Amino acid sequence: MIISVASGKGGTGKTTVAVGMAQAIGFCQFLDYDVEAPNASFFLRPSIKNIEKVSIRQPYFLKDTGADFSRCADFCHYNAVAFVKGEVVFFPDLCHGCGGCVLVGPQGSVREKDVVVGTISKGTAKPGINFLMGNLIPGSLRTISIQNKMNEYINHDETVIIDSPPGTSCPMVTTVRNSDYCILVTEPTPFGLNDLEISVKVLRKLDIPFGVIINRDGIGDSCVEEFCSSKNIIILDKIPNDINIARAYSRGMTIVECQDQWKNRFLSVIKEIEKETG
Amino acid sequence: MKVAISSNGESLESSIDPRFGRSQYYIIYNTDGDTYESISNTSRQATGGAGIQAAQDISNKGVEAVITTNIGPNAYRVLEAARIKVYSGVTGSVKNAVEDFKKGSFNTTSSPNVGEKFGMGPGNARGGKE
Repeated sequence: MIISVASGKGGTGKTTVAVGMAQAIGFCQFLDYDVEAPNASFFLRPSIKNIEKVSIRQPYFLKDTGADFSRCADFCHYNAVAFVKGEVVFFPDLCHGCGGCVLVGPQGSVREKDVVVGTISKGTAKPGINFLMGNLIPGSLRTISIQNKMNEYINHDETVIIDSPPGTSCPMVTTVRNSDYCILVTEPTPFGLNDLEISVKVLRKLDIPFGVIINRDGIGDSCVEEFCSSKNIIILDKIPNDINIARAYSRGMTIVECQDQWKNRFLSVIKEIEKETG
Repeated sequence: MKVAISSNGESLESSIDPRFGRSQYYIIYNTDGDTYESISNTSRQATGGAGIQAAQDISNKGVEAVITTNIGPNAYRVLEAARIKVYSGVTGSVKNAVEDFKKGSFNTTSSPNVGEKFGMGPGNARGGKE
């Protein structure tokens, strides 16, 4: 079973829940899909055995040929290519690497090269976690290219925990779309609720079963619980607003390492999810 | 000489649209004979690269100068490649801009004056890249 851990709002406790859950399960696969700011390795402290580079294909234009590149410009849906007064102007940041300009452009004058956009680190973490982490090169926009590559390494024979990037745009959608269940972590504040509502809409649209874990329970108000009850959304657990958990987190300790009870509580959450997904 | 002005409407009385790439229309004014035509900006709803496409369309019309308020880096690069002069920071009506242009009261711009995605407005400039 593949369980993704997501949230609309950033900093609500996705990683707290994801790494805690992975340690509670013990033997599982863990993937950090927050490739723009991966941080699960601070807590799971994996030993990395292999770092693979991820590249995308990007066109380059042989300008000296004096060829007419107007068809490349017409074809590009993302406006990454312009052709004005015999000169081609290319915008790598807008290019999605589809290769269309190579196909429609003047033969031999549009070539492709590999451009490295990031890495995938693979290793193991205690007790028996098969650990993968994506890392995007700063300044690159190819988040999805790295996540798609990571999809190929998902082991469907074991329990898989995926830590999602925050938000509800493409990087989050790519993360949750292949999961069997999504845990939405939120905080009980109007801000948390606002972003939770957006996440719920995304998951309902994608038809992915989900439940909520409330983090920092005790702050804010009861708006999140009222929302969940009115929408028939299951609240899987609540993590109290406890200074000891925050202190441990700031030292790179997981909630399971900080307080014993969380191992069983997360295992109960897994049982609940298994029940929910049948 | 043809000059393109980013415009909120299709007539000379229209006001200048402050966003070059996401302008509603462009008035293409020909100072030889004082005639003009308006073209609708078909790329203004593009998720990205609207200014690039607009700059290319304008270049294809044989325009030699652009008058607008704000112009971003990508559109600027295309206009530069097309050797089109850019007069940015201009506001008011299209008509007044044309008059001032004919009097030679503008200075050309040597760099873009706003960042990428400026024309998309607050809150709309993120997450649309993929």
